[in-house]
Amino acid sequence: MRRSSSRSVRFGSIIASAAAALLAFSACSAPAPAQQGFDSWDQVTAAAKGQTVRLWMYGGDEQGNAYVDKTLIPGAATLGVTLQRVPVADTKDALNRVLTEIQAGTRDGNVDLVWVNGDNFGTGKQAGAWSCGWTSLLPNMVLTNPTDPLLANDFGTPVQGCEAPWNKAQFTIAYNSATVSEPPHTLAGLLDWAQKHPGRFTYPAPPDFTGSVFTREVLDSVSGGYKNVPLRFDQKTFDRITPALYGRLKELAPSLWRQGKTYPKTSAELNALYAGGQVDFTMTYGPAELTKLVAHGTYPAATKVLTLTEGTVGNASFLAIPATSGHQAGAMVVANLALSPQQQAAKADPRVWGQYTVLDTARLDAAQRALFEKLPQSPVVPSYDVLSHNANPELSAAWVPALDDAWRRLVLAGR
Amino acid sequence: MALTLPPDSRTPLSWPVQPGNGLRASHGIARTLRILLAMALALWFALPLVPLALWAFADRWSFPAVLPQAWGWDGVRTALAQGAVPAFGHSLLLGLLVSAVATPLGVLAARALAYHRVPYAPVVNVLLFAPLALPAFVAALGLNVLLLRLQVPPFAGVVLLLSVYALPYTSYTMRVAYGAHDLAIEEEARLLGASPWQVTWRVQLPLLAPALARAAFLAFLVGWSDYVITVLVGGGTIVTVPVLVASAAAGTGNDATVALLSAAALLPPLVLLLGLGLFGRRPTGGRP
Repeated sequence: MRRSSSRSVRFGSIIASAAAALLAFSACSAPAPAQQGFDSWDQVTAAAKGQTVRLWMYGGDEQGNAYVDKTLIPGAATLGVTLQRVPVADTKDALNRVLTEIQAGTRDGNVDLVWVNGDNFGTGKQAGAWSCGWTSLLPNMVLTNPTDPLLANDFGTPVQGCEAPWNKAQFTIAYNSATVSEPPHTLAGLLDWAQKHPGRFTYPAPPDFTGSVFTREVLDSVSGGYKNVPLRFDQKTFDRITPALYGRLKELAPSLWRQGKTYPKTSAELNALYAGGQVDFTMTYGPAELTKLVAHGTYPAATKVLTLTEGTVGNASFLAIPATSGHQAGAMVVANLALSPQQQAAKADPRVWGQYTVLDTARLDAAQRALFEKLPQSPVVPSYDVLSHNANPELSAAWVPALDDAWRRLVLAGR
Repeated sequence: MALTLPPDSRTPLSWPVQPGNGLRASHGIARTLRILLAMALALWFALPLVPLALWAFADRWSFPAVLPQAWGWDGVRTALAQGAVPAFGHSLLLGLLVSAVATPLGVLAARALAYHRVPYAPVVNVLLFAPLALPAFVAALGLNVLLLRLQVPPFAGVVLLLSVYALPYTSYTMRVAYGAHDLAIEEEARLLGASPWQVTWRVQLPLLAPALARAAFLAFLVGWSDYVITVLVGGGTIVTVPVLVASAAAGTGNDATVALLSAAALLPPLVLLLGLGLFGRRPTGGRP
């Protein structure tokens, strides 16, 4: 057996030298991400020809996937760009991949475009994950309103040309009109309704995204309107205005589903409770999906959207190009295509996806406006004008962990 | 010939009753209990699959209906539209490649530990098991930086990392097999004039075949079921079945698609397992 043991020694020395080589490699400092230096749109379209662009997006929305596959990808192909959709369970997966690419100093990364907003965008921007200052090159950006607060700030993070707008969404509460005969018209009225009908209402436990939005809505409501809640976070204001919020939620808890002893962990769980008729309300930041869920019988046929007189918070979602992408021009061409009136109108069709447009109708010509006017109305979801009436801006991201944390201490554990 | 076959090659993978062995046969109440237990176990494994099978072909199934209200092919259509066919191809390829890399490595490690004096053998043992203790997410995030700097192609990186995760299973399975393997048989073959090559191919390999098949199967499962490493290290270059299932399961109203994909994802391992059962029970001795 001596022969084989000497072989194993040799093998061991190979491993050791390989490990040393690896260490030497990883010790090299990462090169800075590539900068794109385009002066005109023509340069971009010329550079984009023949590029393959990987669009990473949350893959849980079948209509969204189908829209990209059947409408956006063929559209990109006519411009000479091969678009590929990469489905992920969570946008964070895409961001994590980009962050490892940044750390490695990759210039030809595998993520060219990400459907993103909120904290994923903010975290990425802090880490220098996004290419910035490119959206002003997109010809279709002139069709959006530059002063629109939803497009200028993404959950309190200034957009600064680091992402191109794609969709608008409005926080929406839906109810079963077959069981709720007299729907409330304010959020305070909704909480009162829940107390009068024990066990028929609940909300996802923060830090679930949707549950977290709901607590912010209640904060606006108990503070006498969103204008009384400053968008910027500071501890003094937090201490002053949140006791009313948590007092109200604690008071409400015994009337919730299962006496508020437990909460749905995710918005998907709340949706399942609503689909099963165990509660009469559900809530979502993506009202686009309601039409399909009712048509497919997942949700009760009598599902309607609750319009609140004080309005709800709205947001926009964007397409961002990672700084590590090697196909920046191709990604910009796709982002511009996604902003075109034709694509935005196709995407707004409730039979296709039902996502609200980010374009400003006042800036469209008659033919472009006609594209939107001939869209059928969803039988469930009202038009964006109705839904976004009195739309409230999102609080800055710093509010979110503070509110979520206090909810866990005071409402969940404080019983 | 008075050969002592290792028990490993004769013991079937999972079959409680050995025909023709009087000592193991049970009678009366014991036998009834045994059958009942086997049935209960079968039920225990089959029950979770029932809603899966129902959902896969349910176009509409709203609470509180006990059975789907409308049957159809919506789940199939959506799954195909989401790219189920290429995803299955990618998953199969990944599983087979991981198996092809991790199984020989496991054999080498196990053989060295079983028959040779390995320096610091306990440490090597722990190292071989270490991947099990390291969350895949951490490994993917940390090692991807290294793989990117070394310009390792994404797909090769996925196979490499998943093979490391499969190594504990293959090396352990093979370690057990070598523990039960009688070297005297190999020596006897050598005495009878077989070359080392012949001993490996005609004696060792047939005796270890069931264990090899088991190790390869476990390694296949590692490649077949991974999400995190495929997404983070693969960088979207390959979309596998778990990637499709995870992203579809993250949404609402995709129950039929998720059920269909999950049920379909059970089939290849199940077929392999059945093949393994047959392979593992094939008599390995007695050939002229």
